Amino acid sequence: MPTTVSNYLLNLTKLARGDRVLHPLIATYYVTTQCNFNCAYCEYFGARRNPQAEKPLDLDRAVKVLKIVRSGVDSLSLTGGEPLLHPNIDQLILRAKQEVQFRHLTLLTNASLLHDHETILPHLDRLVISLDSTDPVIWSEIIGTTPGVAHDVLNNIRTYAARQKEFGYHLVVNCVITPQTLSQVRSILDFCEEHHILISFSPQSVNNWPHYDLLTAQEYRDFVQHLIDRKRAGAPILGSHAYLSMLYDFTPYSCYPLLVPRVMPNGDLVYPCRPIELSGTTRGGRPCNLLDVKSWDEAIHLALHEYDDPPQTCTSCFQQCFAEASLLQAKPLSLLNELRYAPSRHGAVWKHAPG
Amino acid sequence: MTTTPSSPDTLIIGSGLAGLSAALHLAERGLKPLILEADPQYCGGRLAGGDMIEFQQNGQTWRFRLEHGVHGFWSPYRNLQAMLARHNLRPVFVPAREEAWIYKRANGRVTRVNAGSHIRHSIFPAPLHYLALFFSPRFLAALDIRDGLTLLEVWYGLVLALGVDPLREDQPLEDQWLSDLVDHWGPGVRAFMMGLTRNGLAGTPAEIPLSGYVAFMRFYTLLRRDAWEFSYLPGDSGTTLIDPLAKRIEELGGSIQLGAQIDRIERSNDQWMAHSRIGSFAARSLVLATDAQHTRSILCASEVTREVAETLYFPRSLPTLILRFWYDAQPKSKVEAGIITGDVIVDNYFWLHRLQDQYARWRKATGGSAIEVHLYGPPELLEKPDPLLLARAATDVHNAFPELRGHLIHQHVQRNAPLHTLFGLGRAEQHLTTVTPWPELYCCGDWVRRPEPAFFMERACITGIAAANEVLQARGLQPWATLDYPKPEAFAGWLEKLMHRGRRILRKRKSIKT
Repeated sequence: MPTTVSNYLLNLTKLARGDRVLHPLIATYYVTTQCNFNCAYCEYFGARRNPQAEKPLDLDRAVKVLKIVRSGVDSLSLTGGEPLLHPNIDQLILRAKQEVQFRHLTLLTNASLLHDHETILPHLDRLVISLDSTDPVIWSEIIGTTPGVAHDVLNNIRTYAARQKEFGYHLVVNCVITPQTLSQVRSILDFCEEHHILISFSPQSVNNWPHYDLLTAQEYRDFVQHLIDRKRAGAPILGSHAYLSMLYDFTPYSCYPLLVPRVMPNGDLVYPCRPIELSGTTRGGRPCNLLDVKSWDEAIHLALHEYDDPPQTCTSCFQQCFAEASLLQAKPLSLLNELRYAPSRHGAVWKHAPG
Repeated sequence: MTTTPSSPDTLIIGSGLAGLSAALHLAERGLKPLILEADPQYCGGRLAGGDMIEFQQNGQTWRFRLEHGVHGFWSPYRNLQAMLARHNLRPVFVPAREEAWIYKRANGRVTRVNAGSHIRHSIFPAPLHYLALFFSPRFLAALDIRDGLTLLEVWYGLVLALGVDPLREDQPLEDQWLSDLVDHWGPGVRAFMMGLTRNGLAGTPAEIPLSGYVAFMRFYTLLRRDAWEFSYLPGDSGTTLIDPLAKRIEELGGSIQLGAQIDRIERSNDQWMAHSRIGSFAARSLVLATDAQHTRSILCASEVTREVAETLYFPRSLPTLILRFWYDAQPKSKVEAGIITGDVIVDNYFWLHRLQDQYARWRKATGGSAIEVHLYGPPELLEKPDPLLLARAATDVHNAFPELRGHLIHQHVQRNAPLHTLFGLGRAEQHLTTVTPWPELYCCGDWVRRPEPAFFMERACITGIAAANEVLQARGLQPWATLDYPKPEAFAGWLEKLMHRGRRILRKRKSIKT
């Protein structure tokens, strides 16, 4: 069965041949597009869009989708919406790990419901929680909730940071830098260092392009330079030097969207990435439902037949999910440097972790 | 486009990208700009949408919206992309995958080299990245001994472009032309480099000012490998870009008056008046956003500006010719675009069914293919009758793609007015910048002098923003911040500094001698 490592190595040979149809390194399954927050920067989901949200699959069919994904890669990221709103999320995670045998499992959540789902924690390799400000009042405005809820989530982050070693996962805080939170992001970095949490940053996108007020703000560039310096000094910041440098001046990069494929709640494969799928052009869409195919290779074959090869170069979103994977695949030396944050159960970052 | 000219704050003559950029930035700050466009149907200038053409195939009617011609959106077009994204107008572009160089020699032999990816993904740092081409057997096959003997001279030409920044240093390089530099180059390398240059500047070496060539090379390719990354619009420029942009300006309170061909302007009572056959328009500020030659024409026809305008330098504007061919078969090559040089009349080509949705849908339904070829001259060629040009261009296409012979099902000729800017730099006192010698009259467009290194669409946009900023500052409103351009790669930056230092030393020695 393909693994992230074997796919990475195969991709190196594919790239050397100029082949852009790469094997996935980690697949993302949107288990539900329902959400209980209304993040201002979220372009796709959020509670305000719940009436239009796709209905999640029942447990058995969701597991079947995951089995098809597993035939392509052994790393899975579960996200949403808010994935903990899925009615069978606990069972889905359990079966993903034990029955489908994903080697590496990541859950992206807003952590507001995490205390009701502690049984999933031992099965996770990485728990990713969104945090855009350490000030509950400011943060509640960004995520469209009350300061009380934001305060509780901050406490949850502290709690689950302290329990990393107990359950065996790495906690990662994901921060979207927006013009409104630009003055807050340094405090998030300090917060994460204090609580031994890995942190990753992405700039807010508008129309699949970094927010204008970030592009033109010296404060933003100063912060990214600060990140680069802190990372060099050993701070647990996720993001290769290549990616952080790109965030500094937004230089273009070669994007390989098939490295991080997306699957929608009903099992539809998104090809080659969300922005192109949503554009309604002839270059992308939903070529098949994974419930209707026998393997990942068959799904990709159908996508290529329908939409041709994925694009060559992207000068667009600069989001870490696509850009980082593409950079690390194309620049193996950058990968070596990032391995110290590898999502292994014995990762070096734990030497800092409490408990 | 609607017509709502009521008490505008600012008149903008010309609705190309420069005029629209200026209008958008003014309207966002709450002003009410009025754009005056000569065309009775479409705004957008060189990006305007056009009429539909149609033909029958297998009993079905197919329609395609025309445009001025395929444009590339290059990665350094940062202010343009930022402006579009801020208003959710940025389409999902079609990234360029590969560009071929097709070289037809006088003996009829055709060589095809996939060059674009070699340049942008070169393992050599800029400005050495073109060396990657010499690892391509096909590229080497296109060269001969004369190319080998003149490679140093070619290298000198490229290094010259590193050592001088005409725009930032204010170096017009007067009376120097590209032909002075390239006439002795070997035929293969010359054909390749001229193909690249002609693809952008559209002139012949004898008519391309050296300042324009150097600035062009610096912006598009010489300083960074990734400067060569670019994309295409997923449809015709009118539908995907200009129409949404114009709509947004109107939503924000701006207006567009079509069919207003401005003949002259005048100033009275601290107001600018613009006169056309359909009426006169007045506002406190005036932005001239027309191409260089139309700007000259308006300024020279107007009493208040004539005396100064007649002494000014205006870059040339060139006509272009766009030919489109539809086939009922597919080309073998998967490359979507390229340049064609040598014993041919066409300058470049774009496989539309690989770039634009309207053509992609047709291809899917019929299995056909469609190509757009551009002809940039010389002028006597562009004056030939349509049937002759179609026949010769089709021959060029069929020589490059012989598998398509006998499969032509439809063809179309489009003659574009002389609007394509052949950029050159005039002396500072002669070449208009966004601020003009006349009060509250500003200029923008891809021919306007500004220190930013940008070209074409990005230059139109950045000068449009600069003109808008002048208007805003005159009213005490906050100007817009603009994005700077990526620095040269480390090695290119080091060479650039070295060249500058060398030039300073030479200047110093020269001044001591004199």
